Amino acid sequence: MNLKSINSYKFFALFVVLVAITFCPLFLAEGLADPVVAAASGTENNTFWFFKLLGRLHPLAVHFPVTLLCLAALLEVVTLKDFNSRLRPGIDLLVILGAAGAVLSAILGWMLAGQEDYGGDTLAIHRWTGVATAVLGIISAYFLYIIEKKDRWNLIKYYRAIILFTAVGVTAAGHYGASLTHGDVYLTSVIPWSQDYEGEPKGKSSFSLVSLKGNKLSHEQEIELNTQVRAIFAHNCYKCHSSDKIKGELRLDERDLVFKGGKHGPIIEPGKPHQSEIIRRINLPRSHKEAMPGKGKPLSKEDIQLITYWVEKGAPWPDKGQKSIFRVAELKPRNPALPEATQSLQNPVDLWVNEYFKKTQVTWPAVVSDRIYLRRIYLDIIGMVPTPEELNAFAQDTRPDKRNIWVRQLLNRNDDYALHWLTFWNDALRNDYSGTGYITNGRSNISDWLYKSLQSNKPYNQFVKELLNPSKGSEGFINGIKWRGAVNASQRTEMQAAQNVSQVLLGLNLKCTSCHDSFISDWKLKDAYAFANIFADSTLEINRCDVPTGKMAETKILWEELGTIDEAAPVKEKLRQLAENLTKPANGRLYRTIVNRIWAQFLGRGIVAPVDAMDNEPWSQDLLDWLASDFVARNYDLKELIYLITTSKTYQLPSVKIQDEQKINAQDFRFTGMLRKRMSAEQFADAVSRAIQPVYADSAVQYKHFPELKPEEANAPFVRASLVKNDGFLTALGRPNRETVITGRDSQANLLQALELTNGKAFNAVLKRGAESWVSRYKDSDTIVRQVYRKALGRTPLPKELQVAKQVLGETPDTAAVQDFLWAVVLLPEFQLIY
Amino acid sequence: MQSKWNRREFLKTASTATLGALAAGAPVAGLLSSCSSSSDKNKKLLESDTVKQRLANSTADTVILLWMAGGMAHTDTFDPKQYTPFEKGLDSNRVLSTFKAVPTVLDGVNFSEGLESIGKVMDKGTLIRSYVAADLGHILHSRHQYHWHTCYEPPQSVAAPHMGAWIAKELGAKNPVIPAFIDIGQRLTLGEGEELKAFHTSGFLGNEFGPFMIPDPTTGLDSVKPPVGMSYKRFEKRNELYNKLISESAFGEFGSDYQKESLRRAMEQSYMLLNSPEAKAFDLSTEPKESYDIYNTGKFGLGCLLARRLTEKGARFISVTTEYVPFMGWDTHENGHTRLKDMKKEIDAPVAQLIKDLERTGHLDRTLVILASEFSRDMMLEGRPGAEVKHQVDQPTIINDIKNYGMHRHFTDGCSILMFGGGIQKGHVYGKTADERPCKTIEKPIKIDQVHQSIYHALGIPEDAHAIVEERPFYTTPDGVAKPVMELFGKKEVKADAGEEVKEA
Repeated sequence: MNLKSINSYKFFALFVVLVAITFCPLFLAEGLADPVVAAASGTENNTFWFFKLLGRLHPLAVHFPVTLLCLAALLEVVTLKDFNSRLRPGIDLLVILGAAGAVLSAILGWMLAGQEDYGGDTLAIHRWTGVATAVLGIISAYFLYIIEKKDRWNLIKYYRAIILFTAVGVTAAGHYGASLTHGDVYLTSVIPWSQDYEGEPKGKSSFSLVSLKGNKLSHEQEIELNTQVRAIFAHNCYKCHSSDKIKGELRLDERDLVFKGGKHGPIIEPGKPHQSEIIRRINLPRSHKEAMPGKGKPLSKEDIQLITYWVEKGAPWPDKGQKSIFRVAELKPRNPALPEATQSLQNPVDLWVNEYFKKTQVTWPAVVSDRIYLRRIYLDIIGMVPTPEELNAFAQDTRPDKRNIWVRQLLNRNDDYALHWLTFWNDALRNDYSGTGYITNGRSNISDWLYKSLQSNKPYNQFVKELLNPSKGSEGFINGIKWRGAVNASQRTEMQAAQNVSQVLLGLNLKCTSCHDSFISDWKLKDAYAFANIFADSTLEINRCDVPTGKMAETKILWEELGTIDEAAPVKEKLRQLAENLTKPANGRLYRTIVNRIWAQFLGRGIVAPVDAMDNEPWSQDLLDWLASDFVARNYDLKELIYLITTSKTYQLPSVKIQDEQKINAQDFRFTGMLRKRMSAEQFADAVSRAIQPVYADSAVQYKHFPELKPEEANAPFVRASLVKNDGFLTALGRPNRETVITGRDSQANLLQALELTNGKAFNAVLKRGAESWVSRYKDSDTIVRQVYRKALGRTPLPKELQVAKQVLGETPDTAAVQDFLWAVVLLPEFQLIY
Repeated sequence: MQSKWNRREFLKTASTATLGALAAGAPVAGLLSSCSSSSDKNKKLLESDTVKQRLANSTADTVILLWMAGGMAHTDTFDPKQYTPFEKGLDSNRVLSTFKAVPTVLDGVNFSEGLESIGKVMDKGTLIRSYVAADLGHILHSRHQYHWHTCYEPPQSVAAPHMGAWIAKELGAKNPVIPAFIDIGQRLTLGEGEELKAFHTSGFLGNEFGPFMIPDPTTGLDSVKPPVGMSYKRFEKRNELYNKLISESAFGEFGSDYQKESLRRAMEQSYMLLNSPEAKAFDLSTEPKESYDIYNTGKFGLGCLLARRLTEKGARFISVTTEYVPFMGWDTHENGHTRLKDMKKEIDAPVAQLIKDLERTGHLDRTLVILASEFSRDMMLEGRPGAEVKHQVDQPTIINDIKNYGMHRHFTDGCSILMFGGGIQKGHVYGKTADERPCKTIEKPIKIDQVHQSIYHALGIPEDAHAIVEERPFYTTPDGVAKPVMELFGKKEVKADAGEEVKEA
């Protein structure tokens, strides 16, 4: 073994030792934390003032060793080549002073920790890293001494390793020290991609303490102040102190409980902040074991001031007119005045989007080509791709307003329209031809009512009335699904009705609230029960998390402004009252919800998102409000709404691609045009049926909408997928089980889907039949390729595409080759996406 | 305040951070993990720190669920009681078991006659005799099965995911070309098919995690090979055409987005699977004849064989069922004794062989095999003592016809579960039922959420794993409060609020 290898062995050993010294505090911390805390609390108030003063010099003193040692390490790196550079005496001084400073800081720190109320694991880590750093600093200085005074030059690299470790150690100690005083998310809370990110301060509150500094608060000011305080409670304290987790027997989510206090008695002495436990706790240093909030980030100075001020003013908590701490959308309709039309913009939708674009600094791109536009409106309005003949006719149409005319024509194809929208409403109203519940007559089908309502374009207010106060044909929606056996109280059919009506028709999630008071909104358990009670034959008993409370439910609409329900009336009468009250024009929420849903169907994302959370902020309140008001003004006509949207320039903008699906529903979404959509299972099946080969046989039809006519007479060239039972093929492509309300489908492809399309028996058989038919109709491959491209993609193939396809097909293709070609085309993203 | 900083936490941080990052401590580690948490695809998922960490803490990475569909009577299978042979004029109230008890490899532990082979491998697993099914009122198999597989009582206001879907979501596929959640043997086209569909689903987690259904194991290969009548060469050519057309497509002008990308990725994945050597695992005809014959007791036995072959190639979650068809299989409303002879014949050899084969190939250590049923049966009791529900079978007090000799009513208060491998104790018996009617659980009752948490624990999936649906958390087990049963793993129970789980006993 030569000398060199011995050296590197030693070097490695030293490295290990240094790592151990620097980081062993982290390992020790766990075991040592408890005595530290014990010591801390034991010596709380008995320290001589001078030692206290010394202790409090620790935060001042620590800056010296941090700077000195880091600088020494840096200079050591800079002078790596020449140990005896001109900087040597300076570095030596830095190391010596730094080491001394580290020792001093450690001593002062120890005193500080001993007398103030710090505790917890961060303190333990900080303490022992600090001590380790001081030790390392001394070792560094000692090495320097023996190197320079005893000429042990071979130790230089060990010394340098040690000084580097010292620098790392001092940085770590400093970091944990800062975590103690600033909170451990101090740094990460400003990094946008960090989990702790707090974001920009939300829309500047108009509230200011200064404005309140008067003698006596007005009622409005009290409400405002109280709202602010409750917002602080909700965001910082509810996690541990509300109905779902009650630490220390304290709840901060209800007035009486706040004043009742916790395990140790009241937390608020109105008018006396200095005697209030809550004020003491939120002012404690971060690491004190009684500091609040115990988890998460500390309250800001402003928050503490606000709560203190609130207590000082007698902790007002007015009963009436409490403002919500969650965003709550306006219930009333609003009809903002339309901006003036311009030369290029006439459609009201465009006028509002123009305002939005001005604000977000978007310039209007050119609208899409005729081909893309026609494909869009066909798929979006009637759910089918246009035929080549239709594409040609459209291209040759020279009327300046031909897009409007064609939209109108499509909307007039009542059956095609109904067959497409049937899918959307079946999902939303959880209606299907088969599914759970039918086996025991626990569920009824509303297909006939639904089809006829869509086919006749029933005004939406009437549509809703018939769902809420149903005839035999439409009762399936509010009747829900009745399972045999015992069912959780929050899933009784009356509660299902309350949940489904509020979700689908009102864009409100009552699911949490049907089990316990919500913690994502202000809705209470009793509200959900009062609403459910409208659907009940006999008064419901309120169950909390499936446990009876002994309290009986009231009978109320969620918003009292919408009118009352006669508690004593029979259920039929209650439903009539509900239907009348909910569909009043005054219920802006009902109409905002539907126009937003329709908008989302066409543009790929709602003005409010998710579409079931109508309390969220719209990207344009004016557009949403105006559309809803206009919808009411036009007699609740869904087709008119669709006409308005699809003839807007806004809808005709190029589609927008999204890289990350998560961003679609994000609240900072910015609208720039229709999001690219994926065909639904039904649209895909219908597109294949139309362009290539019918997917379903006549016998698969579950609901016969043309009882007297044969399919060909009814102008139905193939069986629409919305009329068949769910099967493996449609399931794989995203058709849901309709046991629960579904208001949006998966838009990502996945392996199971791809497998179904690649080797699924049924689909393969369709393509095989298709190939046989194509081969018998067209002889040469050139024609086949051109025809398939026209029918499926609405365009002629590019020369290169033609060439690739013909290579596979040969001149006179066989069935197998054609089948493979058909498969490849219908699996192209270009076929499957609406762009 | 207790110090929560422990070695494991530290090492977790240290493993992801460089020395420089370490100086900055936890915040940087948090930052790193938040970057990787956005990864949604399997590869990224498998390589993510979360999954790596979970697998590092796990005792299993594959789960095979052997499902005894229709209600398997514990007293006639794994928990025999006093045997009363059939004779005319027999008093129903006297009958607890309709088979003799036979010894197993474990001292003092007997099985019901006909399960001798499984009895011989009990030294490799744990027998749970104290499963208590939920009280859902009037008995309906599909509701109890829904509850067993999703851990939630139907109906729910959102579509609850099957256990297999949770596992697929939390851990991803073990081998990217093998679907993470495979379901063997259940057709969804028969009686109560719609009710079965309600839990054979990934629910709100999205289709991506849904079951890959192989209704018939003998034709499993069809699911992963080119369509019938298409040669591999033609399949290859077709795929090539597809890729060429995409690259030549005018659609290229639109650039990429997540939908287009996910479509291409899915197509590539399916092409990979259909073309992969792993696909051969689905082909039971390549199994040596002696081995095939042992497993070949019917569809269930061959399902076990398929599960074994897929496990060897890297499956994540496989369910093999005796298939639920109303009044068939374990759903014995009459002729219980006679029919159970056949049922036992169907499961005994293949289940035992599966365990032996997995052990021989070294896979048992990391594969958790569970055998379970939605509830048990009894000759007299419907439901449970104290909560008896409407009888669905007329049981004469005096038996004159052998068709009345058997466990024909649905019993929820004492059922058996077997667990093997994947960190489970060997040769252990957990819990006990009474030796006299009602033969209900009298020691260490275990409920479905504990069963689920124990399975998740073996896989390293934390107790509070959840998804956010409609703005609220939805946990793998209701409210995320259940704990795994540590005794099954030979460990001490976890204290209710201890910050750190007990690692080694």
